[in-house]
Amino acid sequence: MKRRGLLIAPVLAPVLAPLTGLLSGSLPGLAAAAPADLAQAVRERLRQPEWLRGEFTQTKKVTGFAKPLLSRGDFVLARGRGVLWRTVKPFASELRLTRDEIRATQGGQTAMRLEAAREPVVRVINSLMFSLLNGDVSGLGELFELDGAVKGAGWQLALTPKPGALRQVLRKVDLEGDSFVRRIQLFEANGDESLIELANLRPDVAPEPGLFQ
Amino acid sequence: MNLARITRRLAGLWLVVVLACLVHNAWHWGVQRRAPVTDLLAMLPTDEQRPLATQATQALADAGSRRISVLIGGGDWAQAQAAADAFLQALGDVPARHRVADADQQTWLDLYTPVRQGLLSAEARARLTAAPTAALADQALAALYQPVAGPRVGRWADDPLNLFGLWLSERGQGSRVRVQDGRLMLTDATAPQRHYALVLIELPGSGFEIGAARALLPRIETATRAAQAAGATVLQAGVPLFAAAASDQAEREIHTIGLGSLLGIVALTLLAFRSLRPRLLVTLSMAVGLLVATSVTLLWFGELHLVTLVFGVSLLGVAENYGTNYFSARQGLAAAERWTMLARQIPIVSLAMATTVIGYGLLALPPFPGLRQVAVFSGAGLVAAFVTVLWWFPLMDGQGRMAPTRFADWLGSRRALWPSLGRRGLTLLGLAALVLVAAGAARLRVDDDIRQLQSAPPALIEQQREFARLMQAPGVAQFFVVQGATEQELLEREEALTARLRGLGLGVQAVSDWLPSLRRQHEDQALVARRLAELRPELEKRLEQTLEPGSSANANADARPAGLTPWAWLASPASEPLRAQWLGRLGAGPATAVLLRGAESRETREALAALRLDGVTWVDKVGEVSGLLGRYRALMSVVLVAGFALTWAALAWRFGRRAWRALAPTALASVLAVALLALSGQVLQLFHILPLLILLGLGVDYGIFMLEQPDRRATQPFLSVTLAAASTLLSFGLLALSGTPALRAFGLTLLFGVFLAWLFTPFFMPDHD
Repeated sequence: MKRRGLLIAPVLAPVLAPLTGLLSGSLPGLAAAAPADLAQAVRERLRQPEWLRGEFTQTKKVTGFAKPLLSRGDFVLARGRGVLWRTVKPFASELRLTRDEIRATQGGQTAMRLEAAREPVVRVINSLMFSLLNGDVSGLGELFELDGAVKGAGWQLALTPKPGALRQVLRKVDLEGDSFVRRIQLFEANGDESLIELANLRPDVAPEPGLFQ
Repeated sequence: MNLARITRRLAGLWLVVVLACLVHNAWHWGVQRRAPVTDLLAMLPTDEQRPLATQATQALADAGSRRISVLIGGGDWAQAQAAADAFLQALGDVPARHRVADADQQTWLDLYTPVRQGLLSAEARARLTAAPTAALADQALAALYQPVAGPRVGRWADDPLNLFGLWLSERGQGSRVRVQDGRLMLTDATAPQRHYALVLIELPGSGFEIGAARALLPRIETATRAAQAAGATVLQAGVPLFAAAASDQAEREIHTIGLGSLLGIVALTLLAFRSLRPRLLVTLSMAVGLLVATSVTLLWFGELHLVTLVFGVSLLGVAENYGTNYFSARQGLAAAERWTMLARQIPIVSLAMATTVIGYGLLALPPFPGLRQVAVFSGAGLVAAFVTVLWWFPLMDGQGRMAPTRFADWLGSRRALWPSLGRRGLTLLGLAALVLVAAGAARLRVDDDIRQLQSAPPALIEQQREFARLMQAPGVAQFFVVQGATEQELLEREEALTARLRGLGLGVQAVSDWLPSLRRQHEDQALVARRLAELRPELEKRLEQTLEPGSSANANADARPAGLTPWAWLASPASEPLRAQWLGRLGAGPATAVLLRGAESRETREALAALRLDGVTWVDKVGEVSGLLGRYRALMSVVLVAGFALTWAALAWRFGRRAWRALAPTALASVLAVALLALSGQVLQLFHILPLLILLGLGVDYGIFMLEQPDRRATQPFLSVTLAAASTLLSFGLLALSGTPALRAFGLTLLFGVFLAWLFTPFFMPDHD
């Protein structure tokens, strides 16, 4: 009787899709695991502490820009809680991904907010973000075909999105690391590229409990 | 003998009239295929009727009346999808919508992308108006650098502030339904781990034509069980479900109550008269009454309202008394004696008829066209039934002597059980009644809310409620209609309204959110162009490079496109979800409906009703119908009191100082019936008061018949009254068992009232010994 509003939905799908492209194909438990030995080898090399802190350098090549865009900052990764992404240079801004929302703030003011209760895709975005930074092989295996190699303490993964909406946004992801993820390279379908390098990684022994509330 | 000749003449004449009415009815309903008027608000005084509200409500109701929506799931999304697949497979070839193709999504962007420069969310407009350029630059750059940004269409350089993405997000807030894996998906707002797949089933024809729904419901039921077997919760909602439930209930009740009532009345007639003829003739008299009443009403008003038909037919039930009385009097007499009997009975039955018609006639006094119709209908019907008894019965009642049956003798002689209560007895009775009335008055509750009359099965209502909670869809029972001389004036007025409503914290679903007025689009375009011109150098300075402006941004900024017009919007499939709210031409110009969320409380509705804006009308169908019921209830109460007074006058004319003896039992029964209703926990409304008017007609007849022969040894009046009362109890009284609240109220009142009136009447007869 009163559900006239529902076809508003289709419009949001293509809009939210570029966010992560995670509108489909992300069924937990249904995806085949990565080749078992590769996944196992990567898993053996990784330390995945409950709290992880580190610094990042992001180099983004965007069509329409002659020079790459460089930014630096630090981040906090808390298993089961979320991700805090704090850009320091060229200017300060914060991005916080928790179970229930994605929130961007600048100078204490909210610039953008997406709630999981309204946009279920928020959870998927957050778990992708977490899996990439943490090197969660089984989480990634649900979304991507995994390929790669192991060499000494180090490892490399080439991630190709499984068929579905993710492919319309993301062409490929390269991941490199040892006991932590060190390097993430994103190749977007529209030609943009981002290289994220992580440094000074350290498990946090004195976490801030209120960080993701 | 004279009477016999006159009666034969009149019977022939009456036959001509009845046949003419028959032809008239056949012509009206059969050939012209006219239907009774069903809009309740047509019963309002003409100067209070608002065709605008009626048309708008109709248009909105039509749009959703054929749809059944089903939510399947309640667990994770994979389970919801699997269960939905099981549902769809069991549903077979019933047309159902549950997928959204990429092409569908593209139609949205095709419509809005070319005009995106003129589309601003409220938040973005406020920000562009007030924020300094540096702050805008911060925001634009943060989105550029962050790994996750808001929803965006196209390149950053084309829309650095992501104004189009923000506008689309704002649109998305209007619905909880999302597309996932190409399917319609809904997530519980309070429990985000619970997901549902949405399936829409569109039935052919109107939702109130239950035929189509009936055929499909068993298949939907099978599909529901298949989904439940897959471990899912299934919630169904939609007008056709309610229509089907109502007709199921009506059918069940016709089978049980209706059949029980018919059997009871036939058995009673057979016992009392050892013949079915009396029953057939009494039914004939009432059928003639109905036929003539319909014709007279149609000729008088040009139309017949459904409410008139329902109420009028009930009021006609009083005609039962005339036929029953005829046969009670005729019993034990030879055929030839019928004329002397008739000569004796005519004044009595005439008085009985006159008192009732007076009561009903009073309904015509208030300025309500609905009540006038009911008055004319029931008055004409009563006279016609009365005439049929008088002119036709003597010619059709058989030639033999109607032998008194043992049952009739026994029943009639029960009269002797009632003593005539003297002054003391009546005082005691009055005191006892007073105690009951006081107790009843203490518990009396009155509520005219139409929702009291809701009779759908609780399980269905519960599903509907849960569905509404999950969907958070706006209501269509209360809304605003906005009108304008032109489409653009209309949209501008709508924008003014929605701004006010959002200021009050209400959720709004309005056409102008999807189709802003051209004035707004042009203002927004100008605002965007100005701020972007300021922002661009700032961005270039901070990025330390020149921006290569996007092609679309460039073209739009320079050429200033005409913007989105109503014509283009309506022509696009993208407008489909809101098209029902575009009401088209209503009255002098185009109109739209603005729907609300969170306007359920009485205070909010009253505040909204008080809102005064140009071209804006508040429509509260529930409130208006409830108000109408309340006013009718109040009017009926006044009519009732006046009815008692006038009836007394008519009785006094025949019975002199004894008149009160015929009236008091019914008065007492009426008051006690209300007290008993209150004590049994009924919340009083129109459908409790209306039958009191019928009770007045019925009960006073009992009084008249008995007061004509008040002797305790006279069996005929008591037989007549008892048979009439028993028939009424078996027909109307059994409605107390109905599941439909209005009918139950009606039945319960008559059950108490008729029984008490019958019980009290002999007590009030004077003592002849």
